[in-house]
This record gives sequence, structure tokens and C-alpha cells, in this order.
Amino acid sequence: MTEALQLHLGAFARLTDDDRARLARIAARHVREIGPRRDLVREGEKPRAMILILDGWAATYKQLRDGRRQITSFLIPGDPGDANVFVLARLDHSIASITPVRYAELSQADFDALVVESPSIARALWGHELATASIHREWVLNVGQRTAFERIAHLVCELFWKLEAVGLTQGFRCDWPLTQADIAEATGLTSVHVNRTLQQMRREGLIEIAGRKLAILNLARLQCVASFNPDYLHLGGGAADLGSSSRQGQ
Amino acid sequence: MIDHFLLKLRARDEIPPDEEEAIRAMFTEVIEVPADKTIVRAGKELDFSTLLLDGLLCRFKDLRDGSRQISELHVAGDFADLHSFSLKHLDHSVMALTRCRLAIAPHDRIQAVIRAHPHLGRMFWFMTNLDAAIHREWVLSLGRRSALGRTAHLFCELRLRLGLVGLADETGYKLNLTQIDLAECLGLTSVHVNRVLKELRERGLVEFRGGRVTIHDLPGLERAAEFDPAYLYLERRPR
Repeated sequence: MTEALQLHLGAFARLTDDDRARLARIAARHVREIGPRRDLVREGEKPRAMILILDGWAATYKQLRDGRRQITSFLIPGDPGDANVFVLARLDHSIASITPVRYAELSQADFDALVVESPSIARALWGHELATASIHREWVLNVGQRTAFERIAHLVCELFWKLEAVGLTQGFRCDWPLTQADIAEATGLTSVHVNRTLQQMRREGLIEIAGRKLAILNLARLQCVASFNPDYLHLGGGAADLGSSSRQGQ
Repeated sequence: MIDHFLLKLRARDEIPPDEEEAIRAMFTEVIEVPADKTIVRAGKELDFSTLLLDGLLCRFKDLRDGSRQISELHVAGDFADLHSFSLKHLDHSVMALTRCRLAIAPHDRIQAVIRAHPHLGRMFWFMTNLDAAIHREWVLSLGRRSALGRTAHLFCELRLRLGLVGLADETGYKLNLTQIDLAECLGLTSVHVNRVLKELRERGLVEFRGGRVTIHDLPGLERAAEFDPAYLYLERRPR
């Protein structure tokens, strides 16, 4: 149940067996389930708990007054929401489920104990936060400079590598619960534009989406058209191994 | 020397004298760099972090065709790459947009400070949380705000961030950027930026000229931007 979490955090610090047991214990303490398309936390709320996604997909988003919505990241199994969320007085974004989601809630006391008892987990959580900021930077580049085709190709590559890192791909296939509206909200496009672009990607033999599954037909070319370099995901393992990566534990 | 940084920290929490002392001892040298100099290159191994004392820096990423996106502007008192302490190499580059004065903090000294002062560890963590919050707001801007809205929003953000360190007031602030720099922040062409600046001026909201932002109608500007400063976490409270 917490394998994805251990794999994800393990990319940022070496976890001992004790650390793994600690994570499993704490993630089992307050487990909640929520249906699809529901808010887990809302912008403006005082943070009550740190969230760990155990199962399912969610998204963080922000909204303008007239209802225009921007997804700022996707959360998959193993992803914490904001770690260390307790230093913030009010949340600056909301988190909503996309599929049914099972998640653990950590109270401030749980969190404080966790980072005091295990410096490796503390380092891993901070590392995760920094990787999150790095993904946001890449998204600024995405919506600021990439074309519609490149944006969507980039998003597909990103999610594929994130899922791969926590063992949730089968070859070049993975779950794909996102609607065209979700993709539009993540890439700053209209759903119509997303629809047209996905058709073009299928015609060009890059990807196929059917029945909430994604198949990548030509990963090398998809990454090439997207100018995708997985380094910014700071996955630490094979995915980031494109030459410039030289992660070290400290 | 690091007074801007202390102002920024103290806007969010109390920093007692012993912590201030520890922060001061964290820096080993001060260097000056000219405008347009890239001070951190993506992918390069780093063993120090850089605090901006004076001037403007940006974090940026380039696509293969040379188009550039700035993902955050840094003002005096900001750490440009505190996150390199943990990441060890960056996924983006950092460049001086004006002449800058920088203070260098070797990672082993930061490590020692965090070990001796866990509260400062949390504050440094908070500072990197803040960068992520700013990035999220920029994704919203570029993804969903109009060209005018996002330009107005950037001016509002800078007014608050510069105000925090005493470099802006209600009427405006010094901002030594070109329209090309602005375009690279806003995901617009410089021609488009030029047109938007003209519209902002004609609507009597704000004027950007000669390296200065002059705010004529702050509530109007904030309305046009849908600016809500919550993402800058300006409350002073124990963290």
C-alpha cells in the first residue's frame, strides 16, 4: 500500500528499514477515501493535515473569480501533497481527486515526530518539495513557450516517467484517467484544441488513448517533439540518466 | 549586507539575535557580476548557494529553438538557489538581469546552521515552499490570465516583494528590465508586451518607463490582475 510512497521518497534520500516501517505505520494511521472529482483541500483553508496519496490520481489547481481553472500539477500514488504544509497559514491552492482516491492524513504532531525521528525522511520530504517546485518551473515554460502540440506531448512524457518511477507502468502503457478538459486545464488550452491535438498525435503514431489507458507508441520521438528532458523531475534513477545528471546523497 | 534577507524572514517569523548571528556567519564572500551574466548553469554540480544582495536575477529555462521562459524574478534579499543545497544541481539556469551583488553560502555552512538551529532549517524550507507557491501562481497567470491580466499581476507581485525589503512603496518602484525581459516572464512577444503596457497606461493603472514602475491606481491594478497576495504568505507567525 505504501510502496509507491517509499519508492518516491527513496529517490531523494536513502531510507533505512526503520524509515520504511515508520512511513508504513504513519500512512496507515488516518486513511481516508474520497470519490472522483471532489476537493480534498481548498484554497484559503488553514492546513489541517499533510496528505499522502496512496491510490488514485488527483490534481492541484488554482481558480480565477470567473471560474477559469488552472491545474498546476498532478498527484499520483506516492505523492505527498505539500509536505511541511504547516508552515503556511492558508493554502494557496486546492487539491481535487480525479479518480477515487485513497489517501493518508498526517497531523502536525505526526509530521513533526516523523522529521525529528528520521532525518532521512525529512531530507526526502524537502527533496520532494524542491522537485515539485522544479515541475512547476517546467510548467511555466510549458504554458509560456511551448506550442499546443509540444505542451501535451510534454505532459504525457512527464506523467509517464512519474508513473514509471513508482512502478505503475506496464511497458509503454499506463492508466490515463484524464479527460480532455483536465488536459486543457493543465496546459492552458481549450478542450477543443486539446481534442484536435490528440487526434494529430494519434495520426502521427505517437500515442493512443483508449478506455482510460495510454499507450506510447514512440517514446523517443514523443520526447523529441516535446523537448523533454526528465532531469527536472529529479527522479534520481534511470529516468534522469541523460548525461547531465549527477545526483548524490549528502 | 544581508539586511534585505533578514527583513524578508522577519516579515514571516521572529528571528532572534543568535539566529541572525548564525545567518551572518553562513556567508563567505561577496561578488559582483555584470548584467546578462549566467551565474548558475542548469546541470552543473554546485556546493554553494547564492543570496542576492542588490539587483535583479531570474531563473530561466530555454527550449531548443532558443525561446526562453523566465520562471521567477528575484529581488534583493532572495536566495537564487537555496534549493541547490538539496538538489546539488539545478534543472534551470540563473542569470543576472542587471548588475548584481551576490553573497555566497557554502553548502557545508548551511548544513551546520540547520543542524545548530532547526528553526532556521524550517525557515529555509519555508523559503523554498514560497518559490513553489510563486511558480504555481505563474502557471495560473500564463495558463489562464489575459495578457493584460498577467502583466498587471507581475507588477502587483513585484510591488509587494520589493516593498517587503523596503524597495517599493504605494507609488511604485525601480525596475531595470527591458520589454524583452518582461516578454520572457509573461510568455508574450515583446510587441505584445509593448501594446499591453500602452493599454495599462491609457487606462490610468500603471506606467513602466525608464526603468521605473509608477503605479497610478493600485486598487484598479489589483482588480485588473485579480491579485490576491495570499500565495506570498505575508503573515508573521511561528513556523
